Amino acid sequence: MTGKPKIALYWCSSCGGCEESVIDLAEDLLTVTAAVDIVFWPVALDFKYKDVVAMNDGEITATLINGAIRMGEQEHMAKMLRKKSRLVIAHGSCAHLGGVVGLANFYRREDLLSRLYQEVPTINNPQGILPQLETIESGRKVKLPDFHDTVKTLDQVVEVDYTIPGCPPTPELIKEAMMMVLEDRLPPRGSVLAEKKALCDTCPRRDSKPDKLRITEFKRVYETEWDPEKCFLAEGIICLGPATRGGCNARCINANMPCRGCFGPTDDVRDQGAKSSSFLASIIDVTDKEALKKIVDAIPDPGGLFYRYGLASSILKGKMTRGRS
Amino acid sequence: MAERIGVYVCECGPNIKDAMDLDEVVTFVQGLENVVLTKAFGLLCAQEGQELIGKDIKEHDLTRVVIAACSPKEHEKTFRQCLEKAGLNPFLLQIANIREQCAWVVKDKSLATDKAKAIIHAAVRRVAYHEPLEVKEIACQPHALVVGAGMAGISAALTLAQKNRKVYLVEKLPCIGGKVACYEDVFPSLECASCILDPILDEVLHNEHIEILTLTEVQEVLGFYGNFLVKVTKKARFVDTETCIGCGACLETCPVTVKNEYNEGLDERKAIYIPYAGALPNVAAIDKKHCLRWQGEACSACREACPFGSITYEDTDQVRQLRVGAIVLATGFDLFDPARAPQYGYGKVEDVYTSLEFERLVNSTGPTQGKIVLRNGQVPEKIALVHCVGSRSGKFHEYCSTVCCMYLLKFAHQVTRQLSGVSILGFYSDLCLPGKEAQGFFNKISQEGNIQWLHMKEPDSIEITQADGKTLIRFTDVHGSPREVTSDMVVLAPAMEGARDAGAMAQIFDISQGAGEGFFAEENSQIAPVSTAIEGIFIAGCAQGPKDIQSSVAQGQAAAGRILSRLVPGEKLALEPVTAEVDEDLCCGCKLCVGLCSYKAITCDNLKNNVAINKVLCRGCGTCAAACPSGAIKAHHFTDTEVSEEIRGLLRQG
Ligand SMILES: Cc1cc2nc3c(=O)[nH]c(=O)nc-3n(C[C@H](O)[C@H](O)[C@H](O)COP(=O)(O)OP(=O)(O)OC[C@H]3O[C@@H](n4cnc5c(N)ncnc54)[C@H](O)[C@@H]3O)c2cc1C
Ligand code: SF4
Ligand code: SF4
Repeated sequence: MTGKPKIALYWCSSCGGCEESVIDLAEDLLTVTAAVDIVFWPVALDFKYKDVVAMNDGEITATLINGAIRMGEQEHMAKMLRKKSRLVIAHGSCAHLGGVVGLANFYRREDLLSRLYQEVPTINNPQGILPQLETIESGRKVKLPDFHDTVKTLDQVVEVDYTIPGCPPTPELIKEAMMMVLEDRLPPRGSVLAEKKALCDTCPRRDSKPDKLRITEFKRVYETEWDPEKCFLAEGIICLGPATRGGCNARCINANMPCRGCFGPTDDVRDQGAKSSSFLASIIDVTDKEALKKIVDAIPDPGGLFYRYGLASSILKGKMTRGRS
Repeated sequence: MAERIGVYVCECGPNIKDAMDLDEVVTFVQGLENVVLTKAFGLLCAQEGQELIGKDIKEHDLTRVVIAACSPKEHEKTFRQCLEKAGLNPFLLQIANIREQCAWVVKDKSLATDKAKAIIHAAVRRVAYHEPLEVKEIACQPHALVVGAGMAGISAALTLAQKNRKVYLVEKLPCIGGKVACYEDVFPSLECASCILDPILDEVLHNEHIEILTLTEVQEVLGFYGNFLVKVTKKARFVDTETCIGCGACLETCPVTVKNEYNEGLDERKAIYIPYAGALPNVAAIDKKHCLRWQGEACSACREACPFGSITYEDTDQVRQLRVGAIVLATGFDLFDPARAPQYGYGKVEDVYTSLEFERLVNSTGPTQGKIVLRNGQVPEKIALVHCVGSRSGKFHEYCSTVCCMYLLKFAHQVTRQLSGVSILGFYSDLCLPGKEAQGFFNKISQEGNIQWLHMKEPDSIEITQADGKTLIRFTDVHGSPREVTSDMVVLAPAMEGARDAGAMAQIFDISQGAGEGFFAEENSQIAPVSTAIEGIFIAGCAQGPKDIQSSVAQGQAAAGRILSRLVPGEKLALEPVTAEVDEDLCCGCKLCVGLCSYKAITCDNLKNNVAINKVLCRGCGTCAAACPSGAIKAHHFTDTEVSEEIRGLLRQG
């Protein structure tokens, strides 16, 4: 035992990008690893489940969990790690808000399963068997993790102490979060470890935003050529910057793409998607019904656009389903 | 959240009691979180009911109160006062409307009982999150703004000018008096216009309570009755009004000559000018558009000529903020442009004039010193007076302009008085002579001179052309026969319309206008003719519709009377306590809210990159809070928590 703080990293329903964002710390990763003992990180290091179970409660200083919770096994792991850790940090949009995987909440469990295991053209499943909790394989009973009804955010399953937002978070934010833990200068529990204000505050195009924003037409990026210096909204391109927490270094804006909201809402907003549609609605500058319909119809997938990252954490959660009924 | 909530369920006579099972409702409410006291009562709004609540608040240390009774529109005020008397902030109350929204509309008793439970549950959950709000007061502004210094505006200003009260009289021209100041005589008295007007203008000019702002226009209006903030721009006159005595020395030396719009373009003036002899205040003004100094030349002829050193080329336009409690719009009228109806030959036939042009022609301070002459200087022998030009017409204005018959009779009188032997042709299709003086005036004038009345079939059955140097008038008479006469001079009576810039004014003041004619819309044409839909903004004179001096004066005084009766100096004005507030730490400066506030209460600080809401201007509509993408704006009394708790209460109870 070195006496260094113990850190664990785990992934649930995620794409792996958040793991990659840790690797993106580059040289800084070495600084961090020199200061801590990593005790669990399935993606990179060979520690076993039983090693962690054997630890004392609260023995791990901090655990970063990325990914949303969809499977029974993920819920189990989250709860186990919660017990073993002093701090649980939700790492990335999926753990924070449900993320892109949370969009599955627009569909019911049965519909998802039958689509995936029975309908997609590449599936070969003549008997139409759906995943079971238990099966007999070579005479042995095999258990499979449960597939929950909905996708949940990490804090809907266990208590979360801090959140590093982003899809994925920037290496800077991860490093800063680690330093906060190590130097014991964490903000109040429950904080999201990024800016307090929305992205517009630090947006490089801020000064080009007109005093009175009015929109008469929504344009999609492939439909238009836009001024790479000018506020997207001023050009009629939907940007969720005003409704999204800042701290991302305006990565998308700097790549000349509008904000899609991965840092989630600011502290005082409950539902980023509802807020986004409400702020956009309030700057539409037509009153004629037909014209209004046209403007609104120019957003082909409002659910997917406004709730791209936040569906699982929204007021809607999983209550609105699409497709078959 | 540990609150001590008292819930009172009103029976409202049989109204609520008979519509639901009140015992069941009370039992249900008793079990709700934070509720420490539940009582059903006969008539809560009665004295005993109010006393009971007051007593309970003290005895049971209630921190919140829910009244399950009628609509908040009915008694919210009553119960708020009741809380206040008992020492509880009045906003710690929530009304659960179980009468209009339940007892009266749900027929089935058990459904009504369930619904009442849900409504009360919602109120109980919500009220726990209410915050105490403070009703702030500001002193009401007793001062008034009058826009337009014609007869109507001046009458309003003089009536308003009293102790402890200041009146700002804003006029866009360099002189006051409006159209009437350009007339020689006025009907029906036929007194000389300046004899009537000058003493009044003098009174206005010397009244210590009236500040006249000439060459001034309103840019922006914020606020509400009792507290308007008005931004005006006073254009530079370049002549010091204190020292200039209107001697006219400058006019002679100025090298620039332009058409004189104050004489309806019938003569010329200089770039430094006095609109017409006798214009008040009698002070010159420089017309920047034509003055050589603003064309890059080094002229200073007027400064050199002025014996009093009154020329101030250094003047600049001044923006001023006026704080007033009420506003009278008396921007008057302009005439329909007769060139829009080519049949009248205006602008093409030489000696066709509008009535306002004729007023100048016949005026002793006008371009011909009052001599009625043709453009070639000859004296006319025949003068045609044409009624209803653009009025009472299917094509232009449906309405009658009210004063044209009368002033054309006045013209007939003036012509007869000056030119003996002249013959007058009156082209009319109907005469408008209402009231106690008009018919007598008509009788008198028709006997006086040589007037031939030509009765047309329709108001516009007429065509005026130039043929062989003569002015030819073809018309269809009342029997349908085509007829033809010639005349030396034609005077048209074009319809009265709202002032040219009335549209812009209507936007600035947020009031409505009649379609096409430009008059401001009154609140109610019969019983509220001088008020508008916006409280504290009044209209008077021809800005409201065509009328004569008498009615314009009456409206000016009426508007002033309405203001005097409510805007009492020293009185306090309660501000809206339910307002919105910005959290500076959250506002990202996206400015989305700024343009959405109808009351212009939000301003942006571009340096600090955030916005602020003016508490005095905010009316708590909540628009900004709904739009703020950062959740930085909180609408007090309708916070997200309050509203969502209310919804939860409604939904969670079966
Ligand atoms: C040819 C003619 C002859 C008439 N003769 C008579 C008569 O003999 N007897 C009679 O009783 N009635 C007569 N009338 C009617 C009379 O002119 C009106 O009743 C009277 O002028 C109405 O006064 P007012 O103050 O409403 O409007 P106005 O006289 O039009 O005055 C309005 C004032 O507001 C100013 N103003 C306009 N817009 C603005 C702005 N945006 N900001 C600041 N100031 C502004 C104007 O410059 C003007 O000074 C006659 C009308 C006409 C057309
Ligand atoms: S609530 Fe907001 S939008 Fe409404 S009046 Fe106040 S500041 Fe303006
Ligand atoms: S909408 Fe909200 S974030 Fe944007 S400027 Fe207004 S208060 Fe600030």
